[in-house]
Amino acid sequence: MRLYALAVYLFLYVPIGIIVLFSFNAGKAASQLQGLSVQWYGKALSNTFVVEAFQTSLIVALTSSVLATVFGTMAALALQGVKGKTRALFDAMIYIAVMVPGIVIGIATLIAMVTLFDVLNPMLKLIFASAETAPQLGLGYGSLIAAHGLFSMSLVIIIVRARIAGMDRSLIEASADLGATPFGTFRQVTLPQIFPGILAGALLAFTFSFDDFIIAFFVAGSNTTLPIYVFSSIRRGVTPEINAIGSMVLAVSLCLLITAQSILRRGAAKS
Amino acid sequence: MSDRNDFISRTKFMEELMRYKKGSVSRRHFLGVTGLGLATSVLGATLSRQAMAQANIGDRVVIASWPNYHDPADFESFKAATGAAVDLNVFGSNEEMLAKLQAGGTGWDVFVPTNYTITTYVELGLIEPLDMSKIPNYDANAFDPRFAGPGTVDGKIYAVSKDWGTTGMATNTANNNSKAVTSWKEFWDITQGAFSGRTTVHDYQLTTIGNALKYFGYSFNSVDPKELADAEKLLLDVKPHLFAITSDYQPAMRNGDAWLAMCWTGDGKQLNRDMPEIEYTLGKEGGEIWSDFYAVPIGAPHRDAAYALINYLLDPAINMKETLFHGQPVADARVNAMLTPERLADPILYPAAELLNALEFGAAETLTNPDRAELMARFKSA
Amino acid sequence: MFPATAWFVAMLVLPLIVVFVFSFGERGPAGGYVPAFSFANFLNLGARWAAFKNTMVLAPIGTIACLFIAYPLAYFLAVRASAKWQTMLLILVIVPFWTSILIRSYAWIFLLGGKGLPNVFAALGLGHIQLINTPFAVLVGIVYGYLPLMVFPIYVSLERLDKRLLEAASDLGAPPLNTFLSVTLPLSMPGVATGCMLVFILLMGEFLIPAMLGGGKVFFVGNALVDLFVQSRNWAFGSAVAVALVLVMLVTVTAYMRFTRRWSGGRDDISLM
Repeated sequence: MRLYALAVYLFLYVPIGIIVLFSFNAGKAASQLQGLSVQWYGKALSNTFVVEAFQTSLIVALTSSVLATVFGTMAALALQGVKGKTRALFDAMIYIAVMVPGIVIGIATLIAMVTLFDVLNPMLKLIFASAETAPQLGLGYGSLIAAHGLFSMSLVIIIVRARIAGMDRSLIEASADLGATPFGTFRQVTLPQIFPGILAGALLAFTFSFDDFIIAFFVAGSNTTLPIYVFSSIRRGVTPEINAIGSMVLAVSLCLLITAQSILRRGAAKS
Repeated sequence: MSDRNDFISRTKFMEELMRYKKGSVSRRHFLGVTGLGLATSVLGATLSRQAMAQANIGDRVVIASWPNYHDPADFESFKAATGAAVDLNVFGSNEEMLAKLQAGGTGWDVFVPTNYTITTYVELGLIEPLDMSKIPNYDANAFDPRFAGPGTVDGKIYAVSKDWGTTGMATNTANNNSKAVTSWKEFWDITQGAFSGRTTVHDYQLTTIGNALKYFGYSFNSVDPKELADAEKLLLDVKPHLFAITSDYQPAMRNGDAWLAMCWTGDGKQLNRDMPEIEYTLGKEGGEIWSDFYAVPIGAPHRDAAYALINYLLDPAINMKETLFHGQPVADARVNAMLTPERLADPILYPAAELLNALEFGAAETLTNPDRAELMARFKSA
Repeated sequence: MFPATAWFVAMLVLPLIVVFVFSFGERGPAGGYVPAFSFANFLNLGARWAAFKNTMVLAPIGTIACLFIAYPLAYFLAVRASAKWQTMLLILVIVPFWTSILIRSYAWIFLLGGKGLPNVFAALGLGHIQLINTPFAVLVGIVYGYLPLMVFPIYVSLERLDKRLLEAASDLGAPPLNTFLSVTLPLSMPGVATGCMLVFILLMGEFLIPAMLGGGKVFFVGNALVDLFVQSRNWAFGSAVAVALVLVMLVTVTAYMRFTRRWSGGRDDISLM
């Protein structure tokens, strides 16, 4: 059993080991080790396009996950009181949003938006007297955040709803009986109970958005997210710079994960 | 002439070039020592470096181009000279570039289309007529009209010549008794035989379909349904024997996974330079001759930087460095005047006349023809 | 609830309607879309049969391969691993998931390419074995990419399992295999069902792994779709392929959920954590 687990961990970590190893390559090739150096880390960090792609990914992932978490939690709470056809319709939309592949969402968003812009942009030109200064709609942050948020929001609704279902309802009733306002009850009783679900949903939403390639590939317009940058670097011919970027993302996420874990453990110990 | 400039040997030249590339000497020193500064100024190319540095062109320029097609050092020196960093995006076919431009929002400032696509880009209103006053390094008289001509549509210059080349094949002769494959018949046959699992073809309808058509002796540009059906049958028969369908085949050829590749001149030159056992040959039956261009898409977000970059890359001294790097011949007589006689006689870059005469330029119709597009898509998804 | 509804309508319902409408249209003269009404695109779907077949074969195989590799690991983590190491080992399962799948697949291009494992095999006298650009390479990439998604739900369901049941079974003299088959396995079924569905849904729309490890030779529907939009520029036919893919998924996933609900105790949520 233990040996088996070891084998699986080897399978998981040998490729990652290779990525990290070659990130320290002194040579230019991504497949032949020619001495060790940290030059590619310096190159990656001083490459404006890498830094900007990272910023874009961060902005998109943060915005879309925050919006998705807020709206998703609101929807999950509101859905408690909804029954019948409305409920069935909403469930169907969540179901479809989770199930339709990202590639179809990406393509659908692309052609819908391009078609819409083709109609709206000439109208904008008419409204604004001069064609030069008329604002023109295009793909970019807006479409990225909206498309990522769709999937993220569905995730949040599902997770938070599962948490609500497992919640102890008598506490809410008790709180109301003791004269607490509905908002007070929400803040002091409901929220603490569903909070782990909200946090889990937000984390998943962030990870999904930060790592997504295929939706961004279609709807990013001229913006470059980190996965898009990595993809075009691989096409350009890989240098250890890409390995360095991958290793850094890995190290940062590992730190975040361990920090989050220890915070949660401390929180658990307190309560 | 000063005593430093009148003679420089080939080895010394290469040495200086390497030093310049590494950045250990300045460009001024390099041009002075090699006599290129003199040559370029005599030939009338203006080194507008100061002019570029003064004009504010922004901090970036985005270019869409092909695999293994630019010397990164030239982008670095452009950044040093102008402050604009170059973001290079690589594509494997003209169709892919067209698809991106049609969907809009590419963010590209410059891209590299091939001769046969330019009329379509003009018709679709996707590229702008170039403001030639911003490209002083372009001297129309210095360019071979055979290669630079397609850039002019309805009397307006929409694209300026980057380089030209052929589409042939690269054989790793170590695996074929030191013999290179020399015809498209042999290319497709050996792939289904001794080279099974070792051949790559382009992810590009024009050349992959075109060279399958050559197997039957049809025109490279055929859109005849019956001829295309023959080509499709051949491609489907060959598919299980292919190593990959990719336009970036250098890595597979270099590490020995692939032994035979449908190949462009420059990749053939780069492979042969580093691994002499890999030989570049043209198909006896013919195939493609092409020329590539720099063009500016409508709505380029960094238009000034786009022009500055094109002008920079057309500076004969820079263009010479580029051609030495990518291994495609250029159509600019000013650059050729600086190249060594050995280089100008290189059979990879400048094939024998009888081989060259059999080649065809791509036809505009192949870009938009729905049958060829769908044939390629079926071949890939089969 | 209003913002969520608006979001769903604007970003899901309307775009899907546009795709549906486009699927009846025609390719423009230079590519793109022109309005029309015909079923030609749907009648032509047979031209992508190979891609659908590949997907319908490799997605289930990939899911099952993931399951068989993930289950023993999840079991080890939930039941056998010492409490001290459990959290650490769990984190180690997720960590690879946090590196871009692009970069991880790139590592496999190297490992499966001529200078990697085939080189080792050749040295062992096994002759030339091509791994990269084969369905096998794509399966390796799939298992590698989606293993954590399978391990987690199974781990969660095994963790919830009351360990006293196992002790009781062994105290009563049940052989370990019997205990596993009659107690552990049935109780972990909800996790298995969730994990399989997650992986299967993602695989049905997969593009990146076949694109990177298949060398243009192993095509999923996702690859055929991307090709139609970024190479042959046939938006109308591409929309028809997208509609067909969504329909195939709706049917298979709904059927799968009906079938699994029986042994997953009627839970209709997807438990991810």
